[in-house]
Amino acid sequence: MVLERQILPYLQWLLYGEPGGMGALLRFVLVLLGVGLAALVIGFLVAALRYGFARGGDMTYRTVSGGFVELLHTRWRRVWALAMLAVKEARRRRVLIALGVYLVILLFAQWFLSTDYPEPARLYLSFVLTATTYLMLGIGLLLSAFSLPSDFKTKTIYTVVTKPVRAGEIVMGRILGFTIVGTVLLAVMALASYVFVIRSLDHTHEIDAAALKTINIGGEMRGYDGSTDKEMGHRHLIELDADRRGLAEQDRGHVHEILPDGEGYDVSGALGLMKARVPKYGKLAFIDRNGAKKDSGISVGYEWKYRSFIDGNTQAAAIWTFDGLDPNTEDESLELALIVRVFRTHKGVIGQPITGSIKFRNPETGQSSAESSFLALDQQIDEMSFARAMFDPDDNPVDLFEDLVTDDGRLEVIVQCLEGGQYFGFAQADCYIRQPEGDPRANFFKVNLSIWVQMVIVIAIGVTVSTLVSGPVAMLFTASFILLGFFRQFFLNVATGQEYGGGPLESLVRLVTQKNVMVDLGEGVGVTIVKSIDAVFQGFMWCVGQLLPDFRSLSAVAFAADGYNVPWDRVWQDLTLCGAYVVGLSILGFFLLRTREVAR
Amino acid sequence: MSDEVVLQTRALSKVYRDFWGRQKVRALKALDLNVHRGEVFGLLGPNGSGKTTTMKLVLGLLFPTEGEAVVFGRPASDVAKNERIGYLPEESYLYRFLTAEETLDFYGRLFDMPADVRAQRVDALIKQVGLDKARKRPLQEYSKGMTRRIGLAQALINDPELILLDEPTSGLDPIGTREMKDMILELKKQGKTVVMCSHLLADVQDVCDRIAILHQGELKELGRVDELLTIADVTQIRGRNLSTDCQNEIRDVIARHHGELLSMNNPTTTLEDLFLDIVRDSEARPGRRTASVAAAAGGDAATSDESGTPDQPAS
Repeated sequence: MVLERQILPYLQWLLYGEPGGMGALLRFVLVLLGVGLAALVIGFLVAALRYGFARGGDMTYRTVSGGFVELLHTRWRRVWALAMLAVKEARRRRVLIALGVYLVILLFAQWFLSTDYPEPARLYLSFVLTATTYLMLGIGLLLSAFSLPSDFKTKTIYTVVTKPVRAGEIVMGRILGFTIVGTVLLAVMALASYVFVIRSLDHTHEIDAAALKTINIGGEMRGYDGSTDKEMGHRHLIELDADRRGLAEQDRGHVHEILPDGEGYDVSGALGLMKARVPKYGKLAFIDRNGAKKDSGISVGYEWKYRSFIDGNTQAAAIWTFDGLDPNTEDESLELALIVRVFRTHKGVIGQPITGSIKFRNPETGQSSAESSFLALDQQIDEMSFARAMFDPDDNPVDLFEDLVTDDGRLEVIVQCLEGGQYFGFAQADCYIRQPEGDPRANFFKVNLSIWVQMVIVIAIGVTVSTLVSGPVAMLFTASFILLGFFRQFFLNVATGQEYGGGPLESLVRLVTQKNVMVDLGEGVGVTIVKSIDAVFQGFMWCVGQLLPDFRSLSAVAFAADGYNVPWDRVWQDLTLCGAYVVGLSILGFFLLRTREVAR
Repeated sequence: MSDEVVLQTRALSKVYRDFWGRQKVRALKALDLNVHRGEVFGLLGPNGSGKTTTMKLVLGLLFPTEGEAVVFGRPASDVAKNERIGYLPEESYLYRFLTAEETLDFYGRLFDMPADVRAQRVDALIKQVGLDKARKRPLQEYSKGMTRRIGLAQALINDPELILLDEPTSGLDPIGTREMKDMILELKKQGKTVVMCSHLLADVQDVCDRIAILHQGELKELGRVDELLTIADVTQIRGRNLSTDCQNEIRDVIARHHGELLSMNNPTTTLEDLFLDIVRDSEARPGRRTASVAAAAGGDAATSDESGTPDQPAS
């Protein structure tokens, strides 16, 4: 699974952030102060232009001071009343039709989604969860952007604001109401999609008992082997014990339990279709072909810098250091998983995987195990089990936990590519220790929770924007926010000059003059002017970028689709982000609504 | 009526501007008003005179360009003042997908009223405005009159001290108009302060203690209705069962004192009273209206006009 950013422990994320970075709390406070200051300056300038400096200043002061006093008078009964009104309004606007749309999507999906796919669960989960995400974001957008403007248009807002209702209560009531509606819809969709996936992929196989071969070892009958019939585009190899019990081997990401049933066999439904692997990640470092330590491997020319590579049949190696292991554990084995990105400079033997080696080393003593070889298929999850009783390179016995794990729980895993001219590519998340799997249903819930978080953020943005502008404009603005949110990193890269082609104006110049992004624009007054204007643009873009929610990072669909557990640290981070957006946007919406004339 | 001022405007002005801040229209020019506790105050004027703008400024729906509006000693922009205010807008801007009960319950919640108090108040108001049978129907099924009544009920949900009514009789039939006026007078009896704006002069005259006449955003006249309407140099004499001789004698007396007799004839009732009497009679005695009944009803109407309607001027 691709994990571009390490998931930090919640408190570290909240208070300190990544090493050399900033904690989320401090970032939130800084953004809030920045937006507040900008709003204050803009508000004062507008008021000063209309009413003069003295009165404008007085009005600004009153708005701010009175505003905070009003916030203290927030009453939940009013917020709840407004929330329930929003729920009724949403019902009146036939929001439940969305469920019908979702059902139609699922019905049509059945035609196009193939079960004859290497990982059908991944395909199905990815589809239903992505569809749910986009549908929920769309619903959140439409509900939130048009509600308040509609109240302004029909003037029903007159009868609300002439009651002791604070502007913040109107904003919060709307956000809460639409969140309730969205939550109900999402719950139904989540349930429907779960049933859809399970029911679509569940199947069984027939076993022809007569076709099974007997396994005889030393004249003694040890069991049977053979295969199941072909169902859903695949068949399983089977191996049964002498009691005719056993498992159909893993294929398409699942197994079946086999029990004798009279003369025949009873094959269970698909087991392990949905997984919730719980990885324990280590820290990755590299050794180059000459044996020197490096932070990253070499580039093979991919633009995506997520993985770097080691070259085969050299000293080059990828070394993961795990910590927190128990040297005194009584476990009999260490469960490891490895994902290898194979880059070939020549075909090698057609259809054959590339050979690599793996060994364990004590980072303090340097004592290591003998190398074990493995066959690497490109981007496949290779799940390995290493017995604790091992041998060192000199064939002396070593205990994986007692001898190779340090007293403070560290262990190194060293991976090399053994074939010359071939390369293995690794990222930090490509090797992990497998811990007991989580509950796939709980994981499915957590992924839907991440969709919920995105929906609530969209609702909060939509409601806040709609306090100021008409419905269609609010919808466009919110949609732009979502779009930019999906490309936040690129947007920030442009703002900070990390992308080729310069800022927006330079990009326009390049388009018009047909110069690609690598061509130097040269020097001159025109170029200086363009770059200066871009500098202002980029400053503005950077500021906007700080406000954008990173919808790509917020999505946890890949976790469920790839069969990984969503860590609770990640869930709490998402919920905290959601709360920060709701609080920040509610305050902003409060002041926007409070400083506008309700009537015309 | 007491001397306590519940609503005050000081040099209240409003200029409407376009998006670029350019002046479009000066809707209100330096309005100074005091409304006292317990009075029914009318804002009178033709369309575009600034009545509704004044009302919106007082409610905080608009921000003044200059001057200020003070309600219960608080600036109009202070939301806390709304605790003691009830407002009936010109059109009943209510959520049409709610029923009458839901509507009043919703507005009750906005006043942070506890559930039991709210339920009691909702029930009482629905009965008061005569919507008991329609309490479960969504407002989109209501007639104009019913909508105005539920609008008034929502304005009264918090038992307000000051009630602002924007064109309260607008769009109502004569019965509804009379009921609305009766309700305003009832509110006055309860000690409430009512500020209403209207361009229906008869309505204002019937219920208001004091009026302000606005025209083109400026205050043109302010005072008690009875004082403003009194014609100082004209004396009105009304009598019943006067013979022709008696009438001639009165003429002679006026002539002897060098007065000018403007008119002496039988007074007429108002069309409103006539209409209401006919409807009441129809309700009491369904069926075709006969000549005798009509005469009786007409007689009743004529004699019921005890308050007096100004005589027709002599042609």
